[in-house]
Amino acid sequence: MTVASEPMDKPRRRIDVLFLIGVSIVSLTVFLALFGPVLAPYDPTVATGSYAVPPPPLADWPRLFWGSITGSLDQPPHWFGTDASGLDVFSRVIAAPRIDLTIALAANGLSLVFGVLLGLAAGYYKHWWTEVMMRASDVLQSFPVFISAMILVALAGRSMTNIVIALALLYTPIYIRLTRSEVLSQKVRGYVEAARAIGNSEAVIAFRHVLPNSLAPALIQASVTIGFAILLTAGLSFVGAGVRPPAPEWGLMISTGANQVILGEWWPSVFPGIAISVTVFGFAVLGNALERRYDGA
Amino acid sequence: MTAPEVVSGEVVSTPAATVAPAPPVLTASGLKVAYPTPRGTVVAIDGLDLTIRQREVVGLVGDAGSGKSTTALALMGVVRPPGRILAGSIQFDGRDLLRCREEELRRIRGRDIGIIVQNPRGSLNPMLRIGKQIGNVYRAHNHASPLEARERAVDMLRMVGINDPDRRVKAFAHELSGGMAQRALIAMALSSEPRLLIADEPTSGLDVTIQAQFLDQMWETVQRTHSAILLISQDLGIIANYCDRVLVLHDRRIVEDAPARDFFARPAHPYSQSILGLQRASAGEQAQARRASSAATETLVEVDRLTKHFPIRGTDKVVQAVDTVSFAIGRGETVGLVGESGSGKTTIGRCLLRLEEPTSGEIRYRGQPISGIAQHHLRRFRSKLQIVFQDPYDSLNPRWTIGRILREPLDLHTTLTGRAKRDRARELLDMVGLDPNALDIRPRGLGAGAMQRLNIARALATDPEFIVLDEPTSVLAPSAVVGLIALLQKLQSDLQLSYLFISHDLTTVQYLCHRVAVMYLGQMVELGTVDQVFGSPRHPYAKALLASHLFPDPTRRRVDRHERETLTGEIPSPVDLPRGCYLYGRCPHATETCADAPQALDRQPDGRLVRCWRATAGEIGDSA
Amino acid sequence: MLLRYVTKRLLIGLVQLVVLTVAVFFLIRLLPADPISRFVGLNPSEEAYAQAERSLGLDRPVHVQLLHYLGLAPSQGTGLLQGDLGDSWVSGSPIAQEIGTFLPVTLELITISFFVAFLIAVPVGMLSATRPGGAADRGVFVYSLFAGSQPEFWWGLLFVYLFFFVLGVAPAPLGLLSPMTSEPAVITGFITIDSLLAGRLDVFLEALHHLMLPVATLVFILSGPIIKMVRQNMVRALQSDFVLYARCAGLPARRIAFYALRAAMAPSMTLIGILYGFMLGGAVLVESVFSLGGLGQYAIRSILAFDYPAIQGVVLVITAISLSVYLLLDILHAMIDPRVAY
Repeated sequence: MTVASEPMDKPRRRIDVLFLIGVSIVSLTVFLALFGPVLAPYDPTVATGSYAVPPPPLADWPRLFWGSITGSLDQPPHWFGTDASGLDVFSRVIAAPRIDLTIALAANGLSLVFGVLLGLAAGYYKHWWTEVMMRASDVLQSFPVFISAMILVALAGRSMTNIVIALALLYTPIYIRLTRSEVLSQKVRGYVEAARAIGNSEAVIAFRHVLPNSLAPALIQASVTIGFAILLTAGLSFVGAGVRPPAPEWGLMISTGANQVILGEWWPSVFPGIAISVTVFGFAVLGNALERRYDGA
Repeated sequence: MTAPEVVSGEVVSTPAATVAPAPPVLTASGLKVAYPTPRGTVVAIDGLDLTIRQREVVGLVGDAGSGKSTTALALMGVVRPPGRILAGSIQFDGRDLLRCREEELRRIRGRDIGIIVQNPRGSLNPMLRIGKQIGNVYRAHNHASPLEARERAVDMLRMVGINDPDRRVKAFAHELSGGMAQRALIAMALSSEPRLLIADEPTSGLDVTIQAQFLDQMWETVQRTHSAILLISQDLGIIANYCDRVLVLHDRRIVEDAPARDFFARPAHPYSQSILGLQRASAGEQAQARRASSAATETLVEVDRLTKHFPIRGTDKVVQAVDTVSFAIGRGETVGLVGESGSGKTTIGRCLLRLEEPTSGEIRYRGQPISGIAQHHLRRFRSKLQIVFQDPYDSLNPRWTIGRILREPLDLHTTLTGRAKRDRARELLDMVGLDPNALDIRPRGLGAGAMQRLNIARALATDPEFIVLDEPTSVLAPSAVVGLIALLQKLQSDLQLSYLFISHDLTTVQYLCHRVAVMYLGQMVELGTVDQVFGSPRHPYAKALLASHLFPDPTRRRVDRHERETLTGEIPSPVDLPRGCYLYGRCPHATETCADAPQALDRQPDGRLVRCWRATAGEIGDSA
Repeated sequence: MLLRYVTKRLLIGLVQLVVLTVAVFFLIRLLPADPISRFVGLNPSEEAYAQAERSLGLDRPVHVQLLHYLGLAPSQGTGLLQGDLGDSWVSGSPIAQEIGTFLPVTLELITISFFVAFLIAVPVGMLSATRPGGAADRGVFVYSLFAGSQPEFWWGLLFVYLFFFVLGVAPAPLGLLSPMTSEPAVITGFITIDSLLAGRLDVFLEALHHLMLPVATLVFILSGPIIKMVRQNMVRALQSDFVLYARCAGLPARRIAFYALRAAMAPSMTLIGILYGFMLGGAVLVESVFSLGGLGQYAIRSILAFDYPAIQGVVLVITAISLSVYLLLDILHAMIDPRVAY
């Protein structure tokens, strides 16, 4: 039977659940990046004196929670336990976004600005230097990303700034490429011709007409790439080419706990891992929701 | 068996003809199709009824988006996913297609009902050779070995007029031209000799001379196989020339059902009257009078030996887009530029606006050359010369509001205050018949017709004297075309505008223009008044172009004519042009001389220019 | 035509490799790392420092070093041009030989992972595409987003905790074979193949057992983007005009499915290539979680030791393999899809 037997879905205002999830996760991460270190019950970089304490059993959590609010405890509970060197895992997990997110945002911000401007130039003007730039970005893109990031950071010195510069360098070609191809398709559109026929100068056309209409792919990509930058930052720490201990950073925490996992001490690695997992998923979901909105519009 | 006329409440139907109607092939009733979208369900057709009789060619007309394509597919029980057929029945061969099993339906599709669709190249499997695809369809419905299927494919390709079918069966879809792909599709659709062929805009995207060839071929093939056709088109010329009966689809259902002659003579439904407005007006006295009073007194724009070459990257070859074209446009005059795609008409328009730099030649505005001066000195000319592009949607910055779009030219060319600019923008909207209070909305939601009006408003912002209209109506629905042409005409008489009207639609050219130039491969082949060129074209190409154009007049059907002025073969590549006359090789009047002698534009006794020595010598008769 | 295309691509690839090599060469020498102090300790005498500098060849001008490395200065011995990647500053042995022992592990790991991921992802993606928007499709979609954005090293650890520590079904994450097992003779360098060639089924099974968790980790991560891609290409194919037309022409359902599948697979090739290339370097983390001793770990070791020739060698080899994989898949793509012009 070709005729549909049941009535069609009624028109309903479908809320984009995924989009909401993405926004919530990203907002929480931003919140922790701003206030995490302040909210942390312990100094995330100073040992507490209790070593490798497991997290309290779930049954105790309500009591401990009540206690920490009323202040009836001698010291704040170690919600997620402490690691082998006595650092409070919970404090470190909520303090970490200030490093992880800052690196990811700064690297993407830099590469987005440079990438979009260079992409606009490469797409809009055909000069020998834009050609050279595209070839250079080709070469840069053929670098194996993780290995290159390791080389850059390890040889330049393990610091946040160097991680940001390394990631920005590796991500810029992505934005150049995306923006350039969008500019190439936008600049032959009728509205650009119309703007020219009215008498606008080429620079005005490029910046006022073409640029705003070519931003979407790069912005959507940014949401996804921010997530990947967090993964990369953590990965660098994990292999010992990232920020230096005892900085609160998720990858570093997983790395320091890794050797104990095999002995059953799971908590120093598991909690920061959940944090990365959720955060990066949040950015991926947000990027995807933005992409669908853009395509649907 | 006498089928009752399918009449729903709103169908305006003409009294039954005296001859008993042939039995129906397919009868659809109460058809309802809907598509779910994020914003809710959209009902594309709702309660559609129609009947197609044996050996009948039925035309289905309606605006873009009126559900024509949905109807075409739904008649075979197919809906583009994720849409669904919600109600109705389709009687075919004593069965209801919407209630039989999928396998039974599959056997009917392609065997008893064939279809050709709008996007022929996209509808062919890009990864299989054409012959294989036609063979697959044939074998889906007939017992045949792969070899027999292949032979069938070759035969079918030959039947639909493809040269060298033995070679073409090995081609892939992307190697075929649009016309060729459409023929391959029709070969596939007819391979099992269906009793009904549904043709959905079969010639969209084809050039006029190719379109006529194709439709002739389709019409003849179907006559030979005794099939019926449902011919869906928004081109009234096609409907008038090939159809026996016309159905009008409007507002999701059939609103008129009438024999073709009656429909064109006395359209009953208000929508039908609106789409036929131009045809009726163009035959009317006003147009006659208009064409007689050629207003050209004072020359405004002169084009002097304009040539434009496009270099081909990586070679030293060039595409000769425009080849020494000269003409002048007077104040208040409309000159039409007609020709097929690739004839260079759009390039001329773009050169006039300095959107392209001419390779050589000069363009003068009020006697002053504008082709040589530096770009930044162009500004004062920009306000006087404007252009309206083909695609109204594409021509508007999608992120801007109507107010901002209209303010941009005012910012550039006037010193008005913010308030004065807003007032001027309102005034402009009013001039083109749009709501003056719409300044703060984005044009996205507007229809194509309204968007094109907005483009015209923007062009008018700086009080231009001359506007290039580059196919301004080609993407508009028939009803919107009528309104837009009327608007252009009103603006011309109110503001003393001059137009260069570039179009391949000869019907609108005939209506709007004073003089017309026919272009072929970058050359002007004939230039004269509309009456001269349309009434008795002299140049063989102009003759063929006019003969191929399907005027919406069912009393002069192309299929009823015996001799047709046609060209053979395909348009030569503009890279390797023939040495002599560019039409040599396709022209039925060609002689030895034509092969080597380049042709010049010669003034004829009646004042027109023709690029053909035989026409000048009076050796080619006046048969339009 | 194919031959000309392959030659052209190989030439372009070669140029790309040369440019890349030179770029990396200058890059690592521009960065403010001091490899010499790595080898002579913290407070060397000036003499010892200069001695080390000389022995590493860093005392010569950079362009001379480059020419030497590229093998364009025959008087100073062989270089890249002669197929010599140089000697490691750390171990002193030829880098080509070292990479030769580390590379097969990585290739083995990711090739098996890709194969398994593909086996799972293709049917799931296709099934998901047959009813876009359905409950199953939405579930698969969320899964693919999730899996594609996960820290693989952490999942590896989690698997180790669960399957080794808690359940005890997996071996300890300490390499491909347990220290007690005698290794089969090296023929191809791939343990699974060498053990079979040597008729050592026990070693083969042991290697598979040890590969179980790392492969599971990579399959989990890889299945995300592959499912997403297969689904997207399949949805696009099923909604294409030619599939619609095939239905209108009354083709049997099986043939239509075949039309769609072929159309969906062709564009997937490109992404597979990119993912494979990405994984060559990206498998580092999983390798180090499971101490597999792959190319990634060799890279970490070399980078942290400032072993310049080894770093150059690793980047060169990884890029060369990636480029070859791209080329291979592009040829495959062109074989499936006639529209792809050579």
